[in-house]
Amino acid sequence: MNPPAVLAASYLGPEGFGNDLTGLRPWPWPLAEELARGELAGLHWSLLSASDPSRFLRMDLMCRLGFMAVELLDAHFEARPAVQRDRLGVCVESFTGSLDTDIRFAQTPRPSIFAYTLPSTVIGEICIRFGFRGPVLSLVAARPGGENAGTEAAAWLATGEADLALCLSLEALNPSTARTLPLPPALAPCLWHGAALLLGREDGSPRAKPFLAGPLAAACQRWVCR
Amino acid sequence: MPIAVAGCGALTAAGPGLASLLAAVAANASALQTRAYVLGRTTQAIVAGYVPADVVAALRAADPAHADARAFLFAAAALDEAAANAGDRLAAVPPARRGFVLATTKANIDALDQLVRRQPVSTVAQRQLQPALLAADLAARCACRGPVQCVSAACVSGLLALGQGVALIRRGLADAVWVAGVDLISHFVLAGFTALKSLDPEGCRPFDRARVGLSLGEGAGAVILVRADLLAPPHIRLKGTGSSNDANHLTGPSRDGSGLALAIQRALAAARLAPDQIDFINAHGTGTPYNDNMEALALRSVFGERVPPFNSNKGLTGHLLGAAGVLETTLCVAALQTGRLPGTPRLRERDPVAPASLLAEPRAADRLERVLKINCGFAGTNAALILERYPS
Repeated sequence: MNPPAVLAASYLGPEGFGNDLTGLRPWPWPLAEELARGELAGLHWSLLSASDPSRFLRMDLMCRLGFMAVELLDAHFEARPAVQRDRLGVCVESFTGSLDTDIRFAQTPRPSIFAYTLPSTVIGEICIRFGFRGPVLSLVAARPGGENAGTEAAAWLATGEADLALCLSLEALNPSTARTLPLPPALAPCLWHGAALLLGREDGSPRAKPFLAGPLAAACQRWVCR
Repeated sequence: MPIAVAGCGALTAAGPGLASLLAAVAANASALQTRAYVLGRTTQAIVAGYVPADVVAALRAADPAHADARAFLFAAAALDEAAANAGDRLAAVPPARRGFVLATTKANIDALDQLVRRQPVSTVAQRQLQPALLAADLAARCACRGPVQCVSAACVSGLLALGQGVALIRRGLADAVWVAGVDLISHFVLAGFTALKSLDPEGCRPFDRARVGLSLGEGAGAVILVRADLLAPPHIRLKGTGSSNDANHLTGPSRDGSGLALAIQRALAAARLAPDQIDFINAHGTGTPYNDNMEALALRSVFGERVPPFNSNKGLTGHLLGAAGVLETTLCVAALQTGRLPGTPRLRERDPVAPASLLAEPRAADRLERVLKINCGFAGTNAALILERYPS
């Protein structure tokens, strides 16, 4: 069996957004200044696409980042046959997880946001949008960077559990939310980002590159900023 | 590489240890109780599987440094029991070859409730609000110095964590993996489920014609997995796992059960088994109308009209959310060890939608070599796991 390959990569972070085809593009002003401060409320789907998925406005920050990172992959998942989408796994890793939404829900419990108080909800949002029904895994890590997500997704390919695997590293704790509570230093907000890799087997396409181990976010940055 | 179960532990509403839990299983008893909670501006009577107050007090007295870190105390108690059950069979595994995987949805969520209310809360309790840091602290306590992971994937966390334990051993990263699941009943969780109107005010009645919702539970389960060649037979082996997503709805199951059926088929394929080789199924069985309907459809889809005997234990313990998969796996291990099938506590009248093989009462099994465990969760996630008695 061929080793896994990166078929597409995307990244959103304070310094910009893009994929392995476009490279990193800067955020428009004045959003760039807000995002540089870690204020993420201005992150909106319309930055990526003229279409308007109604679900987007209901989502929390973590889901929005994941949703945008997958959209940014430019992988045309809708065009893939259902049988292939049944064999596409999704693995998400995060340090801050759903803490941003947890804090907001603990302060003002509302049914509409309770479903987002789980770091795995983003998997559901992505799967609903694209019809993915493959294996799933949601890891909370002791530090940001997505060290394990790529390894776990690659393992699905190696064992034959999936033919394609999406792995994401997401950090979305808004500093303005964190400031509302006296959180301990161990839970201080880290640099926000959304990074996604689509892994598959080497298919001869110009985009396919060898899969490199190591923190997922760093890998994404490497591709996007090539 | 075959993987075996070296030891199990539990802490639930039935009391400390597997013995209390298995005694309640044998009696087909329910440990659900009513407590009053102030949620918003109203006081509500909530029926749930609470860990008894005297048990919590004893755990706090034994470990004052974690007195306000219930998630740590609960998981540590279950892990201690699992290690004690494994006995010296793990002595050959050095700490560097011991992995650790935690399953939880909200870790030490009590701390967030206290922070929001500006109540005093210890630094360690705050730290363990982050699931992976709770996992790291538990791993250190168990002298597991190999790989540490934390799975947080709603109510399938436990089965996915057991799958990760298998993966860590098969990849050669560990010879044994301590897998624990823990979740708490807190204001946070109660506020969420009452807002969704998911709770049965009388207590859950899985697969019952009159069921209207679930009951929450709290506690912990622990399973220690080990390379099978390190554990002399007879023992229980973990044969295969599978997972899937419904791609349908965030908080409700798919109506046709096809996502869960997919996860079961993947576990069967991983275990290289056919459906007719499964002797018993421990269902998710939350007691919500939609979940139990969906599970019945999924079971019929995989097993046809010959669905093996199956049960739900949520009427005994309540729904332990991220810990459910690990806890319920300990019950499956016990069933394989004793040859006795558990019943479905609080069931009065089987809903005709449920296959007739639903076990109302515990009984001796005609044949019990392989067990299927299934769970489903928010975000459309499904997971399945198969255990086997070895040699069969």
